Amino acid sequence: MANDPMQQFEIKKIFDLPDIAGQDIAFTNSSLWMVVGALSIIVFFFLTLKGKLVPTRMQSLGELSYEFIANMVKDTTGPEAMKFFPFVFCLFFFILFANLIGMNPYAFTTTSHLAVTVFMAVFTILIVIIAGIWKNGLRWFKIFAPAGLPLLMYPIIILIEIISFIARPITLSVRLFANMVAGHVILKLFAIFAAFLVTQGGGIAALAVVPVIGTMAIVALEFLVAALQAFVFAILTCVYLNDVYHVDH
Amino acid sequence: MANQDGNNIATERPADLDALNAKLKAANARRPQDTEEVSNGSALGMAWRLSTELIVSVLVGTGLGYGLDKFLGTSPWILLIGMGFGFAAGIKTVLRTADAMDEADKNIPIGDDLPDLPEDTDP
Repeated sequence: MANDPMQQFEIKKIFDLPDIAGQDIAFTNSSLWMVVGALSIIVFFFLTLKGKLVPTRMQSLGELSYEFIANMVKDTTGPEAMKFFPFVFCLFFFILFANLIGMNPYAFTTTSHLAVTVFMAVFTILIVIIAGIWKNGLRWFKIFAPAGLPLLMYPIIILIEIISFIARPITLSVRLFANMVAGHVILKLFAIFAAFLVTQGGGIAALAVVPVIGTMAIVALEFLVAALQAFVFAILTCVYLNDVYHVDH
Repeated sequence: MANQDGNNIATERPADLDALNAKLKAANARRPQDTEEVSNGSALGMAWRLSTELIVSVLVGTGLGYGLDKFLGTSPWILLIGMGFGFAAGIKTVLRTADAMDEADKNIPIGDDLPDLPEDTDP
């Protein structure tokens, strides 16, 4: 019996790939479930493709997801940011599907590893930096120095702004990672505790009902968290994209 | 009714659709005229955003201070200053986020009642 709540996050090699620059490259269970996630997104949106004037259920799902993200980008960043719509859309659905697939028994939660979430967060911030410099030139660095302050304040403010900018990719990635890991560990602990109580037999075994009810409640909460964290990641991406377009804030 | 492509084109009951359209228009006119439709998700989402922003800012400030201390050999002074700056950055980020959340929530009516239209705009 798996008694270690952290065992579910173990990376296992499925097959080896040629090494790149001395690094051990392999196709792991994490990669496998990422592929599963990406494929299910593609299948999901293929099923929504049949365009009719009066939409079917699947078509409505597709249209709703488009409108949901499009409104998020327009309201948070502005209509000019619709260039980044495909990026935000991909991020949201990749995280959403990864989180939801991870809720299935035996499936691996790819977003429970910092390597995955840090990559997505750093990529987001790099897009902000590169697009910002591309669009505004060196004027982009003014986001670190808000206008209209006494001269003495600038060294302090610039330092503070730089720290909060560096904190952005870390908050993005750590929040998603911590949520997924914490939820799955608590779920596993409750389940292990229930199994442990059952093995004790007699009156103690009857007490196993309590952790089982707890497990059910946490499963419901975890589905909420899975969707919520995808939403938070996407909306924060939009908030950060503000810095590309609104340099003088 | 279906056309030759097999697609259902909703032409069979135009009167119903017109009535529905009129109803939708009337309902839309009663809604508050705002563009700010995205709210902040749930309270749980807000809590996660604010708390991680504060904690990570302090950690980043402290981490930068620690790194500089190692580099310059001035332990522990820059670490302490960095912690202070990190805390300041955290508070600043949290206040800014809270402001943005207030802004997003301002136009959302509480409960089922939609706010009345302002008196002076009535014709």
